Amino acid sequence: MRKNLKVVNNKTHSLDGEALMMGRKSYSDDYAEPNSLVCKMLRSPHAFARIKNIDTSKAEALNGVKCVLTYKNVPHVAMSRAGQGDPAPSPMDKFILDEYVRFVGDEVACVAAINERIAEEALKLIEVEYEVYKPVLDFEKAYENETVIHPEDGIKQAFEMGFDPKKNVAASYDMEVGNVEKVLKECDVVIEHTVKTQAQAHGMLEPHVSNARLDEHNRLVIYTSTQTPFHVRRIMSRTLGLPLNKIRIIKPRVGGGFGGKQQFHCEFFVALVTLKTGLPAKMQYTRQEVFASSYTRHPMKISMKIGASKDGRIKAIDCHTLSDTGAYGEHALTVFMIVGSKVLPLYNKVDAVRFGGRVLYTNKVPAGAYRGYGAIQGNYGLETAIDKLAEALHMDPIELRLKNSMKEKETSPIFEIMGEGTKGTAMIMESCKLDYCIKRGAELIDWYKKYPVKDMGNNKVRSVGMAIAMQGSGIPFMDMGAATIKLNDDGTYMLTVGATDIGQGSDTVMAQIVAEELMTTVDKITIYSSDTDLTPFDVGAYASSTTYVSGNAAWKTAIKMRERLIKEAAKVLEAHTYDVEFDGVKFTTKDKEITLKDLAHRLTYVKDMQQISVTESYFGHVSPPPFMSAYAEVEFDKETYEFKVIEYVAVVDCGTTINPMLARGQVEGGLVQGLGMAAYEDVLYNSNGKMLSDSFLYYHLPTTKEVNKITVEFADSYEETGPFGAKSVGEIGIDTPPAVIANAVYNAFGVRITSLPITPEKIMKAVKEKNK
Amino acid sequence: MTLTCYVNGVLRTFDVTPDEYLADTLRRNGFFSVREGCNESACGACTVLLDDKPVLSCSILSAKAEGKHITTVDGIQDEAKKLSHCFAEEGADQCGYCNVGFALTVYSLKKHNKNATDEEIKEYIVGNLCRCTGYQSQLKAIKAYLKGE
Amino acid sequence: MRVKNYYYASSLEDAFSRLHESNKNAIIAGGLWMKKTAQEYDTLIDLSKLGLDKIEDKKDEVVVGAMVTLREFEHSPVIQSLNSGMTAFAVREVMGLQFRNMATIGGSIFGRYPFSDVIAGLIVLDVALHFYPEAKMSLVDYLSYKGKYDGILTHISIKKDNAKGYFKKVKATALDFPLLNISISKRNNKLYIALGSRPMTAALCLKAMDYLDKNPVDDEAINKASEIACEELMFSDSTNISKEYRIDLAKVYIRRGLKEVL
Repeated sequence: MRKNLKVVNNKTHSLDGEALMMGRKSYSDDYAEPNSLVCKMLRSPHAFARIKNIDTSKAEALNGVKCVLTYKNVPHVAMSRAGQGDPAPSPMDKFILDEYVRFVGDEVACVAAINERIAEEALKLIEVEYEVYKPVLDFEKAYENETVIHPEDGIKQAFEMGFDPKKNVAASYDMEVGNVEKVLKECDVVIEHTVKTQAQAHGMLEPHVSNARLDEHNRLVIYTSTQTPFHVRRIMSRTLGLPLNKIRIIKPRVGGGFGGKQQFHCEFFVALVTLKTGLPAKMQYTRQEVFASSYTRHPMKISMKIGASKDGRIKAIDCHTLSDTGAYGEHALTVFMIVGSKVLPLYNKVDAVRFGGRVLYTNKVPAGAYRGYGAIQGNYGLETAIDKLAEALHMDPIELRLKNSMKEKETSPIFEIMGEGTKGTAMIMESCKLDYCIKRGAELIDWYKKYPVKDMGNNKVRSVGMAIAMQGSGIPFMDMGAATIKLNDDGTYMLTVGATDIGQGSDTVMAQIVAEELMTTVDKITIYSSDTDLTPFDVGAYASSTTYVSGNAAWKTAIKMRERLIKEAAKVLEAHTYDVEFDGVKFTTKDKEITLKDLAHRLTYVKDMQQISVTESYFGHVSPPPFMSAYAEVEFDKETYEFKVIEYVAVVDCGTTINPMLARGQVEGGLVQGLGMAAYEDVLYNSNGKMLSDSFLYYHLPTTKEVNKITVEFADSYEETGPFGAKSVGEIGIDTPPAVIANAVYNAFGVRITSLPITPEKIMKAVKEKNK
Repeated sequence: MTLTCYVNGVLRTFDVTPDEYLADTLRRNGFFSVREGCNESACGACTVLLDDKPVLSCSILSAKAEGKHITTVDGIQDEAKKLSHCFAEEGADQCGYCNVGFALTVYSLKKHNKNATDEEIKEYIVGNLCRCTGYQSQLKAIKAYLKGE
Repeated sequence: MRVKNYYYASSLEDAFSRLHESNKNAIIAGGLWMKKTAQEYDTLIDLSKLGLDKIEDKKDEVVVGAMVTLREFEHSPVIQSLNSGMTAFAVREVMGLQFRNMATIGGSIFGRYPFSDVIAGLIVLDVALHFYPEAKMSLVDYLSYKGKYDGILTHISIKKDNAKGYFKKVKATALDFPLLNISISKRNNKLYIALGSRPMTAALCLKAMDYLDKNPVDDEAINKASEIACEELMFSDSTNISKEYRIDLAKVYIRRGLKEVL
């Protein structure tokens, strides 16, 4: 750890917290023009149909209706709404509006009216005649199904990703290191284990929302709740055929994203309405639309086969996965690959490892990016299988993990083979305190006193479960972030970054990094982020990239700014730069000094006048994974199998924590979201493909009462390539709860729950089955 | 119809329809501090005080507020500032969309039960969903706020 | 929901005559579940200016106005001390605090919602409903009343039986609807058992109660009663819970509840 840090790794209040608590105008909808047209969407009642006829004349004739969009009057350009880099690693299988509708809730027509009531009335006046097809709702039956979900022409892939729409395949991938079949045959013990994971809703509290207007130069200006403003601008420019420089995307405060706002929602529609009518327009999803007409986590079926020698050396891992991308292929390939690439390297000492399978289309709500991004699904598969292997080997699960897991200075061949839809990047683990995390977590939960289970009397038992996890820090050679620092004439700084604060606190973290390097305090740094007109480029908030990639950009810029300031001071002080000392406030040589304030004033108004401004960019050459161990103590009712998590312990190696409190918040929040997936949350459909759990009344986010004690500690770790030694921390917290709870259930009752969520009813059924 | 009520102590009249909900009336009239999260009485983000009691403005018809006192967070800025300091001290700030709802609910708790136990605090705020924090840091912050720290 | 007029009634008589002016007129209480319907109304009639928001502690009973909110109800010292506090306890399980500051006792009962914790908590007590035009009906009778009742619910009265009570709501998370409600009381030496949200509206387990009435209440009788209760009432699947698991839960909690009130 770098010594004498004053701002980084020190307590720093979130920069926007006070304004948000006091209710200031902050979020996208607060900035809508007061007289905006209100946009509402007519949505498909069918899981799969073709629009034979659509008559909007009555709706258009309604007083107050200004515009109705259908597939007939919007650009017809195949694209991906995924909000990824270029070329995008997701199939281009979506049109703004299409003659086919592929899930209940898919877009049919958009109405813009002078108020919400008229827009809603107009929706009822649109007459649609559908040719209804038999939908595919089970992804295990989607491959080569007689129903082809994407029969249309013009859809394509930007590069080879196994896209085969005629077989309902959005993407496929296979890889093998060594010879898995051969090594498995040589193993003393081989276990097989298959799990199924459910769809999960993001449940961010601010619904999807955007608004548009034309500025005085007829440029399109959009405020939108997005994680990827620069990708929004690029994709919109190409799809609408509008020059990039005619579009300005502004991301104000965002009320939570979790991956859900990496993709497009309202942006095309407010843009088109404003372009067509010349009037400002706004659109906000209802909560039902947020659930049933946006994106979910990819449901998956993961089959693991693991072989080991009898002394507990894991020799081969075989992982076959099927993934359900729903109606469109946003993030189909990349989420799928992460099931392998950010999970399997945990056990890196294998002789052979294989990963592969397919991502299939179904007529359900599309899946997309969601915190954890394949790692949580893979973690549930692998980490419950490892417990099963430990049992077969008669080994302690902690000992088995310590023996086989990744250590510092080691690597895995998977890093080089698997990347973000393409080849990966070889890397050595320069920082990996996983061993420490495992041991420390066991101490904190007091594992050996509690393992496997204790009878508490009064029909209660308490058991413990554990798992380990890893993630990444951005996508190497792909994710780029940039920062600009400008010196103000009073010696304070203006920091502009493309990095996208969606509530995780990246503005605060960026300001801390810059303040530390410039030896000043956060209040001297004014940060402005994510405005495509005014801030430098950044890919956006995804792939656990912001602290590492954008943070490195901010750091690099601050270092350059410091050098530049010293150069300017040296001129004034008539000295060599290496003779000038800078302490953040003043520049000194042996006999002279000038304050930063005076220097800034002089450079602005007095002599050699110039604007001092520095821009630097960064892209990763590696993606150093954060690691963690997780432990839970769970209390079960022996008769009803209802349970509650008494304590959850997480010990995390994310390198230096730039802001320890915000880092803890990322881990705690991730854990509780993961706990939601493990135990409470389930996206349910009826037999016609209509989502039933399309409301907070029926989709259960954990409340404050579901949360008891959470203990989070950080390992002392320093990542050489990260800003001040930092790695990412945004996603890793979510990965472990499904496996940890499943393992605790096994330790309590001897049954393995192999589908999520883990409900008391499923445990009871499994116990009854076992006792038969 | 005309709605006459007090908003943050000021007598106001609003033109509303009989089926308009209070959150919409308030936002339409510039009270942007009222955050709409679910519009189905399930998340707590739109909490305002109606005659000093926390209610869900998304699900109460504006007509029901006739003659009553509505408090938005704009009416308790000093308290919100104090709570925000406690949140900042505990690192309980993330996206902030639920914060205003918490501020008004917890302010009401402070008025009625300053010495609330952990369980009583949870009972009071269970209707305020937060998807970011995992609640632990918020609970610590709320305890500090109630103690007047 | 679409509404043409909003009307504050000046008297019950006024409310009643307004109500019957159109079949598109309705009484609004908290209005929370009303919001979720796509109904169109001519006039919504608000009773909040009629003084129906009081809890009166009388000699043999407690009288609760229909417009008393769930929060006022659960917070009332009278209710908290009534029948070992079980009614307050049942009401406290409904959604969050803000919701309970809006929802009313009258609205919760009059709607006969199958997921009602309030009804499940009250049904094992001696509860009468009072209507305008003047009429009185037991809660149990009201639940089995065919069709929509014509009058306006003005009050409920809860008999002071010095009952011992048990209430359990099984749910996934704190804000969930009940997966099952179990309520039990012992009053005047008789045991009452009810199961709600099976997913049907709460009902008494009359055969199980009768069995306990006629047999010495020991462990065996308790087990037997829990079996009978689950046989006499109908259960079915919901999206997030099966009929079988509901029955298993009901048996466990009936046993636990009976042991607690004995």
